[in-house]
Amino acid sequence: MSRITIPIGPQHPALKEPLSFLLTVEGERIVESALRIGYVHRGLERIFQNRSYVQNVHVVERICGICSHAHTTTYCQGVEALLGLHIPPRALYLRTLLCELERIHSHLLWLGVLAEHVGFTTIFMYAWRDREIVLDIMEKLSGGRVAHAVNVIGGVRIDVDQEQVRLILARLDELERQIESFLGVIQHERTFRARTRAVGYLSIEQVRSHCVVGPVARASGVDIDLRRDAPYAAYGQLDFRVITAEEGDVWARTMVRALETIESVCMCRQLLAGLPDGPLAVRAPRRVPPSEAVSRCEAPRGELIYYIRSDGSDRPARVKVRTPTLTTLATLPDQLRGVNTADVPTVLSGVDLCIACADR
Amino acid sequence: MGDFSSALFALLIFPGFGFLCACALAFQWIDRWVTARLQGRIGPPWFQPLADFVKLMAKEDVLPIGAHEQACAALPMVSLAAVLTAALYVPVGGLATSAFEGDLIVVLFLLSIPALAYFLAGWLSVSVFSVVGGSRALLQYFAYEVPFLMAFAGPAMLSGSWSISRIATQQSQAVGMVLVQPVGFLLAFVGLIGKLKRSPFDIPKAKSEIGAGPLTEFSGRKLALWHLSLHIKTVVGIFLLVDVFLSGSFTGLAVPTALAFGVKVLFTLLALSVAGVLYARLRIDQLASLGWKVLAPLALAQMLAVIWIGAG
Repeated sequence: MSRITIPIGPQHPALKEPLSFLLTVEGERIVESALRIGYVHRGLERIFQNRSYVQNVHVVERICGICSHAHTTTYCQGVEALLGLHIPPRALYLRTLLCELERIHSHLLWLGVLAEHVGFTTIFMYAWRDREIVLDIMEKLSGGRVAHAVNVIGGVRIDVDQEQVRLILARLDELERQIESFLGVIQHERTFRARTRAVGYLSIEQVRSHCVVGPVARASGVDIDLRRDAPYAAYGQLDFRVITAEEGDVWARTMVRALETIESVCMCRQLLAGLPDGPLAVRAPRRVPPSEAVSRCEAPRGELIYYIRSDGSDRPARVKVRTPTLTTLATLPDQLRGVNTADVPTVLSGVDLCIACADR
Repeated sequence: MGDFSSALFALLIFPGFGFLCACALAFQWIDRWVTARLQGRIGPPWFQPLADFVKLMAKEDVLPIGAHEQACAALPMVSLAAVLTAALYVPVGGLATSAFEGDLIVVLFLLSIPALAYFLAGWLSVSVFSVVGGSRALLQYFAYEVPFLMAFAGPAMLSGSWSISRIATQQSQAVGMVLVQPVGFLLAFVGLIGKLKRSPFDIPKAKSEIGAGPLTEFSGRKLALWHLSLHIKTVVGIFLLVDVFLSGSFTGLAVPTALAFGVKVLFTLLALSVAGVLYARLRIDQLASLGWKVLAPLALAQMLAVIWIGAG
């Protein structure tokens, strides 16, 4: 059978961000794939070195359009560690609250994208409609739907009152009902299962050898989650389950993310119920003593790492970011081998790539 | 002269070209609006399909270098001509422009010409997406066409006629075919979804996988004609289903024939919209195995049942 080469990207309906694949196909089966990244490289790590620590909070937030709060949390944690600051508990709780809201938002957005790629437009529309609930909550809290500017070095800049807490709790109940209905569809709808079962399979060994993190790793049975394994912010005080699955395919990833979303709703409730009183931030000095720090967070897509080195000035000497997407990109050639061309969008969206994060 | 002008009226206005175009636009709007409402969206205003058509007609018409220009210009017209000719033999509210013994076979044949034109359009317009889409369209054709044809053989054998008008009239004396052959109706319905390439069988034009499939490289007037022909095909397909399985415009109640026919057509259209909303798109191999492992044996069982009933 003759081989043809199909370009997927850098611009393609299945891709929300620029990424390029050259797929060599025999009929409808893929025999080879070549990946190319770097289309949205913006030189951000260099920009960090030319800005002060405070200005960088603003830049860091713009690495990603989805998990912006995870980036600022990790960055601020790192700088706070360099400064040896003790963050007030109320600030930590609010930070964590935003982290979890953002996880819900990210997972729902992803569910919509996946549903669209398997041709399930209805779930796409529902998921994005219900994502508005969590976006509304975040807007009410911070004034921004995607870029929240909640974190500052030393704490947070927002506060909630009892009235807001009541409103948020009511909307969270609404959200949980919707997510549970999605869960029913994911579990039982036969066409959806037919399109996602045994597609994009990753074994536990492949996950380990590529150091894959986040929901993709958990869906292959690797039980890792920084929120439990190395608690930061207020996660130490929360009671939650780490969701794992054994199947290792796109369906398992969907289940893991949907269940995680419900778990996140429960965590938000705990955070709002146990919100301690006290100040929102401590004052941070402008200059940071020479040292280095590694800060880690469980972003919606998995472990996010910041390495920050200071040289005593008000600007960082180096900020290095390792995003979770980088680990999953390396597994894509493995996942695509032998796959039907119709499943390419499913595989690509199944791992939840964030190219803007990975390229920076 | 009177004969000539009434024939011209039937061909061009009702139930011919003008009526079919109006139905195509109206059905498209109903379908889009119902789908939007079911998906929690607002949906387009009623004139949106017409506006889309006018806009496409006015747009620049380009083809990539290497595409077969004459063929690409002729194919949408062939497709449109085939569905318009098929429409002549499908009664609307009991009125058919023309009818003869065996027109069911001709109509089914004419309705499969757009599928072949669609495949050729993909093959001749030199883009990888359209080539893959075209080969998928052909594979899909083999998956749904056989059960679809077999489903229509049932009512024809039972009423002893291969004329659509006669089959529809026959049901006014007896009961609707859908009650006698529910499986046949279901198969024809599923086959129609495949034929119209509607969700969940929109495999040849799966936009997240291969853009617009065979029509990826089409634009302007040619694309407008493609859309028109595919939407008229929807109209004719629904009319055919209503005539053959839902006893056309006969209800046994004292209601106007046009109303009875309209209600049944609307019901079928809504069923198509709902089916499109409920499922995820299948993969081509999954559709092929559905067609040959489930639909074709069911169609065969239905045919054998009809023969057995007819003999007994």
